[in-house]
Amino acid sequence: MVQPVLEWQAGTVTAIRPETRQTKSFTFALPKWMVHRPGQHYDVRLTAPDGYRTQRSYSIASAPERVGELELTVERIPDGEVSPYLHDVLMLGDELEVRGPIGGYFVWDVSLGGPLLLVGGGSGVVPLMAMLRHRAAQHSTVPARLLYSSRSGEDVIYRDELDGLAAGDRAFEAFYTFTRQPPAGWTGYRRRIDATMLAEVMKPFGKRARVYVCGPTLLVEAVANALVLMELPIEQIRTERFGPTGA
Amino acid sequence: MENDQADMNTALMVDGNAVAGDLQQIFGRDMTVTVARCAGCSRDAAMGALMAFTHAPGIVLRCPTCQNAIARIVQTPTAIYLEARGAAFLRMAPQS
Repeated sequence: MVQPVLEWQAGTVTAIRPETRQTKSFTFALPKWMVHRPGQHYDVRLTAPDGYRTQRSYSIASAPERVGELELTVERIPDGEVSPYLHDVLMLGDELEVRGPIGGYFVWDVSLGGPLLLVGGGSGVVPLMAMLRHRAAQHSTVPARLLYSSRSGEDVIYRDELDGLAAGDRAFEAFYTFTRQPPAGWTGYRRRIDATMLAEVMKPFGKRARVYVCGPTLLVEAVANALVLMELPIEQIRTERFGPTGA
Repeated sequence: MENDQADMNTALMVDGNAVAGDLQQIFGRDMTVTVARCAGCSRDAAMGALMAFTHAPGIVLRCPTCQNAIARIVQTPTAIYLEARGAAFLRMAPQS
């Protein structure tokens, strides 16, 4: 499939929604919108008055079924170059230079089937959410489970939407783990994701699971290594790592 | 000090997915599913799965198995430099 040339375009901010203390979702209307595959991302570029340019890559949060619109969920990195601008300066009606959709490695759509195990840490849940939103929009019955690690209850992005999806869909279940401060009365996991936890969550899927792992490098390394030790075929594992700059 | 440096490099590491836009700009196609064979250890990896270091004036892509530098990319205002001595080859599907 020949791909169109990747071009920068000016997206107009049509909505800004706070998700957690550190994350916001930004919706853009794009003049040259193209359908994306869940898991892909867009590059965002800022240009200073003196010509200095910097860019970051952000995962698409929205499903491809939302025609004409792009939603990015961005974590605010205190000493970052791009995310503080998006969080603190960008307003409704502003334009922002973006290019995409980008990437073909960390992608899933319903045609790939399942069962689907999504493992996310922090804002690594964003591309996984695009997959879940797409799955829901397609009324897919592919069995899916999400294992999502957060520092505290307040740091869980999309909590209400995830619980809503799980409540209305017997083939989807969300599992949370908290590494620092679980919510009051929490009886579930309260540690970093480890091999035992992975084995429990993926038990009904066994070695047929198609696994997508996204989060900080150390989490991704730990999960990918555990999956390989569990003898999951390596071609069923897709990973995406991001560093502290929210790349 | 060496350990601090190593830890910091690990913390700043991303993967080839993060530079997919730059690669696509250069090659005119998505490169994250293109397979790169490391000239150092001869292992294959999808370019999206290479280790990527972007906190520098250029981009360095390294083999996830042996850490050999597979490619370096530097962009100046007038040119893009791609040095890929660390790759034995790239294998990609033809565009039809």
